[in-house]
Amino acid sequence: MNALQNMVAGFDHEAYGSQAVFRTALQALSHPGRPLDMPLNMRLPRQGHGAAAALLLGLLDADTPVCLSPGLVGSDAAAWLRFHTGCSEVADVTQAQFIWVGQGDALPQLHNLRQGSDAYPDQSATCVIEVHNLHADEAGWRLQGPGILGERTLRVQGLAADFPSQWSRNHASFPCGVDVFLATATQIVGLPRSTRIIAEEG
Amino acid sequence: MFQTYDHDPLAATADRQAWMALLARAPVRMLDEALADHQATPQWLRQPETGLMMVQGRAGGTGERFNLGEITVTRCALRLNPLHLNAPVGVAYVLGRNHRQAQLVAVADALLQDPTQRDALAVSLLAPLRQHLQHMQAQRHQRAQTTKVDFMTVAREATGTPNEDAE
Repeated sequence: MNALQNMVAGFDHEAYGSQAVFRTALQALSHPGRPLDMPLNMRLPRQGHGAAAALLLGLLDADTPVCLSPGLVGSDAAAWLRFHTGCSEVADVTQAQFIWVGQGDALPQLHNLRQGSDAYPDQSATCVIEVHNLHADEAGWRLQGPGILGERTLRVQGLAADFPSQWSRNHASFPCGVDVFLATATQIVGLPRSTRIIAEEG
Repeated sequence: MFQTYDHDPLAATADRQAWMALLARAPVRMLDEALADHQATPQWLRQPETGLMMVQGRAGGTGERFNLGEITVTRCALRLNPLHLNAPVGVAYVLGRNHRQAQLVAVADALLQDPTQRDALAVSLLAPLRQHLQHMQAQRHQRAQTTKVDFMTVAREATGTPNEDAE
């Protein structure tokens, strides 16, 4: 059967829905490490975390090649995203402007993704990574950088253990480097490349 | 962009292409009459939206592609029975800005994919539609025929030597 069989609708209201998502994404990058509730005024596919799907539905269009992790390739979520945004799907992470990493799928090496250049740092990739839980103000990571007054703490559950070490390399290549969104079923956290993560053991 | 979603067997695809081609040219009046029982609000997958599409042509049908111009197209996608997830999805692309026409075409497409409705609709909609389009074409052909001009050509005199033209 064709993939339209399991298709569900997108935003309840195209303009308001995508504006609300965009506003939340901006807010998340302006306040790195602060978990924000994603407005989910839409039908969601069965696979993938709701907040991640909503974020990509709001940000993608026909000019943005997206790369999906193995767990999402060929799923209803992939067909749903293509149907509603018209985005193209690429298999090669180095070609993608957006990368959607499903829960439990291996994290791509951040330094392999599009980094942008010193003249055009905006031409870098944005990585949306699904995680189990996000807890603000709990011991885990200490975050510093623009948008954070002093220091903020964040505990992330369900993320690859080598992420902080990958992130420090990503942070060091500023102004190049990728931006990351961590997404649960309902919340997102923005991690722009300017944010420094200090991982505490335990 | 829907081609990528169609993984139906070849025959079913050809059938669907045939009725899609008919429905795309159908006048709203005929659609309205045939689909009078299916006017309820469907479950929208994509609300009717109007946009522009670039039409490409080839000189003489075989030459290089070139952009002929932009046309206004309205498209939509819907499911008739919201309670049944596997109910067929109807899709419509029609010329112009008539949202209602797009909706009716998508409804007809969804019904034609349902084996229990297909035969009835083929009789009530597709057959008259085919007839109507043939009739229109015949009329247009006839009208064009009235403007036909027969040129009287004078046969060339074969006076010169054959080598004259080859120089």
